[in-house]
This record gives sequence, structure tokens and C-alpha cells, in this order.
Amino acid sequence: MKSLTDQRVPISKLVWLSVALIILIILPWIIESPYIMHLLIMFLILAVLGMTFSMLFNTGLITLGAAAFYGIGAYASALSATKLGLSFWLALPLATLITAILALALGAIIVRHAGVAFVIITMLFAHVIVQVTGQVELFGGWGGILGIPRPGSIGPIEFAGKIPCYYLMLFLSLLIALIFYALYTCRVGRVWRTIKLSPPLAETLGINLYRYRLLAFVIGSSAAGAVGSFYAHYFGVLTPGTFGGWTSIYIQLYAVLGGLEFYILGPAIGAAIMTFLPEFLRIAKEVEPIITGALLLIIILFFPGGILGTLQTFPRLRLASMSAQVRKIRAWLSSGDKLRR
Amino acid sequence: MALLEVRELSKHFGGLAAIDKLHLDVYELEVLGLIGPNGAGKTTLFNVICGFYPPSSGRIIFRGEDITALRPDQVAQRGIGRTFQASTLFMQLTAFDNVFAGLYRHYRQPVWKAFLRTPAASMEDFSSKQRVMEILEFMELASLRDELAGNLAYGHQRALGLCIALATEPELLLLDEPVIGMNETETLNMISKIKQIREKGTTIVVVEHDMRAVMNLCDRVVVLNHGKKIAEGLPAEIRENEEVIEAYLGRRDDETFARG
Repeated sequence: MKSLTDQRVPISKLVWLSVALIILIILPWIIESPYIMHLLIMFLILAVLGMTFSMLFNTGLITLGAAAFYGIGAYASALSATKLGLSFWLALPLATLITAILALALGAIIVRHAGVAFVIITMLFAHVIVQVTGQVELFGGWGGILGIPRPGSIGPIEFAGKIPCYYLMLFLSLLIALIFYALYTCRVGRVWRTIKLSPPLAETLGINLYRYRLLAFVIGSSAAGAVGSFYAHYFGVLTPGTFGGWTSIYIQLYAVLGGLEFYILGPAIGAAIMTFLPEFLRIAKEVEPIITGALLLIIILFFPGGILGTLQTFPRLRLASMSAQVRKIRAWLSSGDKLRR
Repeated sequence: MALLEVRELSKHFGGLAAIDKLHLDVYELEVLGLIGPNGAGKTTLFNVICGFYPPSSGRIIFRGEDITALRPDQVAQRGIGRTFQASTLFMQLTAFDNVFAGLYRHYRQPVWKAFLRTPAASMEDFSSKQRVMEILEFMELASLRDELAGNLAYGHQRALGLCIALATEPELLLLDEPVIGMNETETLNMISKIKQIREKGTTIVVVEHDMRAVMNLCDRVVVLNHGKKIAEGLPAEIRENEEVIEAYLGRRDDETFARG
């Protein structure tokens, strides 16, 4: 999304995306382990959360409270299912709406203070949410909420096992990604990008920074709330700790690791790596933060463009210099030929 | 009636009065030059007019409307455009996209239509793109449309800054040192462009240090020193004004100044 107006997607990118999509669709046939299926579902959830961080980051807002709205969505959905007896299909839109309203109320106050103040306030807000859900009995207390019903059925399809849940989440995450993409490529996305690149210049063009940042805050938070709702019904159990500061920091890392310039694919790649790499390396849970932390430090310090940003520039540079080398060697060889003759 | 009226305007930074009870009128379709030594408060005045700094006291009236307390985007929406002294551009965007961003004020289709890509919104996008090319052609940047702003030569960056401001189609355009750092040819070219912009119906206020440019370009000149207006008049009058020369040089012994 380097350009505002030229939105042609290269064929090669389309091919890669369709290959990735097909793999995501056929994966459940290949994978037998329910644990890996669980990881896949979590990867989709975390990828969407990373995208919400990315959306805010690209309007110049750094949030450490992404997990808070994820939690609000999860709790709103769980409570409306357990206390009001709503089905998942009603609880999901209701939870998304509640998250949106809360995000609008909070955002209206704090979005004015872009910069460090915003970071601190979102972090504190996430902490408040954890404390409230833990201390207040209505929200289940520190023991959490148990027995949240599974999504249930639509017609003949029963969303109970891991595989139907996976497809449901895949559909949800693709839908959110599509909405985000449509936003990024229309006028709203262009305005966000100008705000990120130079707030004063954007303002002199007549752009209301506050309104556009608030829009990003509400949309991003609502998406987090929607996947929170899914998580509650998929996992069946909610505990306050799930939505604490660490989760927010991890969410941020998915976006940074994948590449902040890639609003949708970046967080997806980052979340995939952060979910599966520790599993495949079979690192002990106690050591894992040390290794991931060190790895991330290296990436942020030496590859600030993230994985996608680095891939985009690196191979091309190497190929160019290689072909230059080849040309030099050829020239040297041919001059040698001439000399010999 | 003046297009822009500045009344008793003051701006203090701590104990320092950057602008001190300034009284200034900008008339429709003139090119007003704003000169003065460094730190005279010229750029501060621009920032106060545009709403970046709230004034300490006084009022700013544009087309009879009090705009003193408005935010920068509201000021821009009312038709005041500006360029910045430093090259303030969207460096990671192409020249084309920079100008495209400047058209923000002229969108008529609501956001949700742009989101859903209705035919009307697509039409608007299409005509916007044509408008961008017109502006780029006017400033002779059409061939550089796909270059990133950050990769452009300095003179082209200055021209692009003006393009962005032009895209907002302001009634009043505030130019902050448009020819700074340019060579003679570039300067003359820029001056002729600014004159053409005025011909098309835009009122212009220009802050500039290059005296020849000021004398060549401006209908009227206002001299600031320590945030106060110390002289006002035709370029030729200002050139001969003792107080002005003193403000610049301390005494009358002046090669650079007489050159204009």
C-alpha cells in the first residue's frame, strides 16, 4: 500500500494470496492433531488483533490496549450468552456493538492526546479492564466465566468441533481483512496515510485529525471485539488474565514483526510466526520469552521494516548486485578473449 | 473590506512577544510581501493565522468571519492555504499522490459512498486525478509524477509544496519563503508562477528574504520587526525607508538592499 491512487494489485501477489487461501482452506484435511487446529484458530484471532494494532499505528496512534477491546468483546458476548441466553449469532453483533460504543466513549476523550499520553492511557485502560473483570462478581471474578456455549448450528452445519470453528474464524478474519482492505484503499485509507506521514500538512489540507483517528480507533476496537466474541464461544472459558498487558504487547509484536507498512499481511505473517515457531522449535514455555524477546530485538533493531519489508527490498538488491557481478565477469572474460587473440 | 483582517494580534512565548499588537489588512487579489529580519515573527504570524498556535490576544477575521479560535483544518476548510518553510511534504508518497491528498477539501461524495465505490464516487476519483495532472503540469512537474517526494530535487520539492497548496484551491494563499535556496532561473520561474496564480484569482501573502523577489513580485510590502509592524507601503517606498534599512542592517550602508 505504498501508493494512494495506484491500486492495481500485481498478478504475482494475487497468485500468492490465492495459494495461501487455498492452503488455509484445505489445512483441516491435512492436519489431524486437534492441538495444531487450536493453534491455527488462535493464529487467525491473533492476526486480526495485530491488524487492529496496525490500523491505529498507521494513523499515528500507538495502542497498548488492543487486548482490552478484545476482552470487552469476549466478556460482552459471554455475558449475553450466559445471563441473557442469547445465541452466538446474536451475541457476536451485540458484543461488537458494545465494544464500538465503549471505544467511541473512550476514544472521544483520549484520541486528542496522540503520542505518549495515548500509549499510557490505553495501557492503563487495559489494566482497568482486567481489574474490573476480576473484581466484579457479575463479570465472573478472578475465577472467570465457565460454560460459555459453543456457537451452535446454522442450518445443517453444527459449529461445535475444532474444524467448523476453524472455518467460522477463517470466514470472520477474511471478512474483517476485506473490510480493512476496502477502507485502506478508499478515501479513508488515503487520509489515514497522510495523517501518519505528516500531521501538520494533513491539517492544512483541511483534514480533521481527531475525527479520522477516532474512526480508526472505533473500527479497530470493534474488530477486536468481534474476534473476542468468537474467542469466548470457541474457548468456552474466560479468565481476566487473558486480556492483560502481555497480550497487548504480543499483539503489537505481530504487527511489528510482519512489517508495519503491510497493514493486513504484516500482522498475519507476524502472528503465524509467533504462534507456530515456538511450537515447532519445541522450546520450553519458561525459556520461550527469552528467545522470542531476543529475536524480536534483533528484528526491530536490524530489520525495522519487519519480515515483509525486508523481503521486499532484500532479494531485489541482491539480484541486482549479482547480475552486475555477472556482467563484470563477462566483460572481463571477453576482454581476456580479445587479448588472447 | 479587506479579505483578511488581523486586529491587535499578539502572541507571546513565555516572556517573548513574537507578535506584538499587530494590525494588518490583506486586500483581495493583491500580493502582499511580509519581510523583516530573522525572528521578526513572520512565520509565527502564519502559524497563528492557520490555527497552529492560539494567539495570546487579538482577532483574525477572514471574509468577515472571526477565525481566531479555529483549528488548522477548519481554517483550511474556509479557504486559507499555506506552504511551509522547510520541505514539509508526504515524503514517502509520489508527487502525484501528494497533490491528490491536497484535493481533500473538494470531495463532495460522502465517505460511505467512497467506501462502497459507488459510480458517483468513482467518477469523483477520476476527475480528481485529472485535476492533479493539471496542477502538476502547471508547475512543470508532470514528468516527475511517479517519483517519491523524498527523492525529488530541492527546487522540485518546493514546487511540489506549492502544488499541494494549490490543490486545496485556497482563496488566500500564505507562502513561506517560496524561493529560498533557489538559483536565479528557478527564482524567476517561481515568481512568474506565483504571479499566474494571482491572475487566476488567489490572494497571496508571501514571506520572503530575497529582496529582489519581493520587489519583483509584491504589490505592497509590510515590514515586521520584533513582532511589530514598522513600515508598510509600495516596494519602492519600502526600499528607501530609513527605519527598515536600520532594522535590517543597523545603519544605512547597503549593497544588498539597494539591489532590489
